[in-house]
Amino acid sequence: MIKKIKASKSEKIILVFLLFLAIFSFGSFYLIKNKCLFIKDYDPSKLIFENPKNIAILSVPCGNVIIELYPQISPNAVKRFKKLVKSKAYDNSAFHRVIKDTLVQAGDLEFGKKGNLNYAKIGTGKSGLGTINSEIDTPFDFKAGSVGLARSKNYNTEDSQFFIILRDEPLYETEYTPIGRVVYNIEALKKIKYLNKSQYVLRPDFINSLRMLVN
Amino acid sequence: MNFIRLIVLSLFIFTASHADTIYNLIKIPNLEIYEIQTVNKLRYLYAKKPFTVGLEKNIKCYNSEKKILDEKYKIIKKNLDKYERSFLKKINLKYIVLCEDLSISNINTAGIPDNEMKTLILDIKFNEKYFERVIHHEVFHIINDSFKDIFNQTTWSKFNLNNFEYAECSTCTDKLGLDTYGNTKGFFSEYSQSTASEDMAEVFSHLMIGISLKNQDSVLENKINFIRKNLLKIDPNFIL
Repeated sequence: MIKKIKASKSEKIILVFLLFLAIFSFGSFYLIKNKCLFIKDYDPSKLIFENPKNIAILSVPCGNVIIELYPQISPNAVKRFKKLVKSKAYDNSAFHRVIKDTLVQAGDLEFGKKGNLNYAKIGTGKSGLGTINSEIDTPFDFKAGSVGLARSKNYNTEDSQFFIILRDEPLYETEYTPIGRVVYNIEALKKIKYLNKSQYVLRPDFINSLRMLVN
Repeated sequence: MNFIRLIVLSLFIFTASHADTIYNLIKIPNLEIYEIQTVNKLRYLYAKKPFTVGLEKNIKCYNSEKKILDEKYKIIKKNLDKYERSFLKKINLKYIVLCEDLSISNINTAGIPDNEMKTLILDIKFNEKYFERVIHHEVFHIINDSFKDIFNQTTWSKFNLNNFEYAECSTCTDKLGLDTYGNTKGFFSEYSQSTASEDMAEVFSHLMIGISLKNQDSVLENKINFIRKNLLKIDPNFIL
């Protein structure tokens, strides 16, 4: 006759601990792998906007980011941005410069496109439309979510590259041309891939698409 | 959900390098904002810790006590408020860095202008006696660097008497006195005689703080007219 051995209290504790550890490990692995898990996506067709003609939908790996453009503040810059958006020029362009919790930058249409990345030159590419003048004289509060056109060291060199700031940057006023502000889902931008030791990203995330809500 | 997220995140220590916006903009480390809400949009920054800059790290400056910083800021702002935003934009000046014991290659200096970075580093403890004048002197170097053609040094040198020659550089001479001459003889101060650029800066700074001389000589008269005329070329609204 086989004698039934009853598990001791300590054995039960170890068993529970191992079970907990297995669940936790599996859960952690799942959560880490899916960086977008807690990011809410927004369907722009279900949202109401005061001026839909100035709404752009930026599709990134973690969902849609809704941007309101401000043509009254920077008419030429917004005109350039809309032109590039309407020609779908930004689709598949890399977020080549990302600083954790600070900013994401994309829009190098020459050296930053998926399948044609040039790491040596990324950030210096042009759109082919020429540069435009900086529009920095209108007061603008560069708070988190603000979208601006990037430029070289000199003013009046804005082209296609744009950045979105993830924290308030008051020093950017009169420094960069503002074109709009994120009105929904800045959280999705915080999940864009970044590197710890460099602002320029190796194997970066890409813009899936960038469209105007109303064409 | 947020609780789980917190637990997961707490298991990993992220060591991302912190973004320093000021450094990204003007390439000077260890600075913080002192005041940026100004009418002419000048941004006042101060050294939180000592910093070294320059290709060979030859520019050094140190942080100041808050009390001194607060005192000197008032004086600096009062003087720099004399410049309109439109003028500052034209001459490319936006950032004022406040620190003390400023030196370049171990030579103490009142200020280091860098019009490309739109920055003027000011030693807030340099020459207490002529501190206000020195501020405008340094601003002129920004103007001069931005408009080298207008403030042509060869043209300027011709105002002087034939037998006069400037030194090769402002640090290759012992003519460093900043006292304003009673008897000018073509120069406002001893330092004016070091180089053409310093001479122009001395004339400009004297005019900015409103020093008028009773016995102004014809050489100095020409120099003053030259500065006035050329400033109006940069900004027709500039009042001197």
